[in-house]
Amino acid sequence: MNDKQLQGLVSYLIKNKHTVYSHTDDDGKINIKKIDTGKDFTLCPKRPLYSFKKFFLPSCQKMMVFSDNETTLNRSKNEKIVLLGLHFYDLKAFTLINQVYKKDPHFQKKLRNAIIIGQSPIPAEMEDYQKFEKEVLEHLKFDIFLEAKSHGKQESFRIFTGSEDGQRLLDDFGYRDYENIEYKGPVPKKGLGPINSMLIEKIRKSRGSEIWKELDKKCTNCGKCTIVCPTCFCFKIKDEIKKDEILRSREWDSCFYDEFSEIAGGHKFLNTTEKRIYNYYDHKFVRIPEEYTMPGCVSCGRCTEVCPAGIDIREVLRRIIEEN
Amino acid sequence: MKNQYEPIQTSIVKIEQLSPINKLFTLKIKNKQTRNTFKFRHGQFFILSFPGFGEAPFGFCSSPTIRETFQVSIDQRGSLTSKLFKSKVGDNIGIRGPYGNGFDQKKIKNRNLVLVAGGCGLSPLRTIIQDANLHPEKFQNIQVFYGCRNPELLVFKDDYNQWNKNIEMNLTVDAPDKNWKGDIGVVTNLLTPEKISSDSVAILVGPPIMYKFVIQKLIELGLNEKDIYVSLERRMHCGIGVCQHCVLVGGKYVCTDGPLFSYAEIKDTPEGI
Ligand code: FES
Repeated sequence: MNDKQLQGLVSYLIKNKHTVYSHTDDDGKINIKKIDTGKDFTLCPKRPLYSFKKFFLPSCQKMMVFSDNETTLNRSKNEKIVLLGLHFYDLKAFTLINQVYKKDPHFQKKLRNAIIIGQSPIPAEMEDYQKFEKEVLEHLKFDIFLEAKSHGKQESFRIFTGSEDGQRLLDDFGYRDYENIEYKGPVPKKGLGPINSMLIEKIRKSRGSEIWKELDKKCTNCGKCTIVCPTCFCFKIKDEIKKDEILRSREWDSCFYDEFSEIAGGHKFLNTTEKRIYNYYDHKFVRIPEEYTMPGCVSCGRCTEVCPAGIDIREVLRRIIEEN
Repeated sequence: MKNQYEPIQTSIVKIEQLSPINKLFTLKIKNKQTRNTFKFRHGQFFILSFPGFGEAPFGFCSSPTIRETFQVSIDQRGSLTSKLFKSKVGDNIGIRGPYGNGFDQKKIKNRNLVLVAGGCGLSPLRTIIQDANLHPEKFQNIQVFYGCRNPELLVFKDDYNQWNKNIEMNLTVDAPDKNWKGDIGVVTNLLTPEKISSDSVAILVGPPIMYKFVIQKLIELGLNEKDIYVSLERRMHCGIGVCQHCVLVGGKYVCTDGPLFSYAEIKDTPEGI
């Protein structure tokens, strides 16, 4: 598929009542935006600071309303959306969240109404990508995947489909030169692999060690890392009293916020920064891998980019591995 | 796909004041079919909600064998419980659940069972006490050790005489009134080698400070760490192991792996108790 055909595909989707979102480079700031026309569309190879997570887990998900003893579940129609250009790590994050929210009706409804189109990583970032491309793709959830053949100018793509929806869409559009990859579930045969298994052990061992004390002094508990992280999925359930009705919704929460672990009576279990930041790493590198056989970090680097205290997750992990 | 957050509608069929700060609510699930299929086990809990006041977890406190209604005994502690305290018979209450791993009755087969409670911690243990009263054949010997600040705060006072027929009740308070005939002091004092056999299984429900001392004492008395169960309280939002609020850092969730944990399971979890 060449650039022109991709533009044609985007136009086709828009014409068929899909709302298409992709990320664009606005003078160096990468934002996810609604695409109004396929004309001149090009894929942005850089990653957006905010991930695509909000399309499936909105920061505030309305769940139900109560009025006069009646409970009405939110069954509002979701618009048909296309998310175009998710990078490898955002697809990985999405694959994980899809596991966690497997039985969640709000998430699954959004998923049913969404077409996910991934794009291949920038080769420089993922040198060994070519080697295991198929093995990687068969464990990612996507409908269509565009593999840039000559990166930089992005003039042509190799096309993979990862679902029947993806195949149907391309067939209807009239493009048949694709290879279908059967989704083999989120977990590769080899399981977690040695690096992630080693991390579980090292993080456990590191509890209480010097690094956490240092981070305790550095981290400001702002929670920005949890907002930009494509895999952070903690939430709280909140009631809001409106004029004629009461609204119950599910809102993003952050384990760095003060009341996250507070119980009636005021006691907080995560009552120091050290405990909170350890819990954050414990969730990503111990609990998620143990529960879902996938790492909870997809190496996108967003937390590092956004941290006002200059905490670099790679540096933290490097030290944990070295010191334990 | 079922919405896990949709409350099951129940109506309040009875409200009894158990202590100046505690009320016992008898709830009945309104939909007959749901009522017939709704089942819980010892040690499980549910999430109760009131529109506009949010949700909070509570342990069941009636025998799981009673299927028409179920009960919950609640201390007035925050805005949701204050709202509940103002509700009347006939009002609707939303619940969801049951949640939690529950307590496998096989663990106490042919074993002496020691229930240690502090404050309103007796309430969730009443599922077992009431079950044992209704079906004594299901249980071996049961001993209850219950401590409270003062006699007024004891919950289910009117039932002790009846319970005593099948269960050994031991009561203690910190500050007795002039009619008090039971023991005085902390509950730990009641746990003596004469009373407790070392191959007992113990379940503890009460404030964390009680756990520290009681666990230590029970271990001294020769109980196995695997046989000492404690009920942990954490903030909960989902009840299904997703939201992370109830985490015991290191790998466990109170909502799905608990709320009852054996001491052996959690003793190495900092902040566990
Ligand atoms: S209450 Fe949400 S994870 Fe336990």
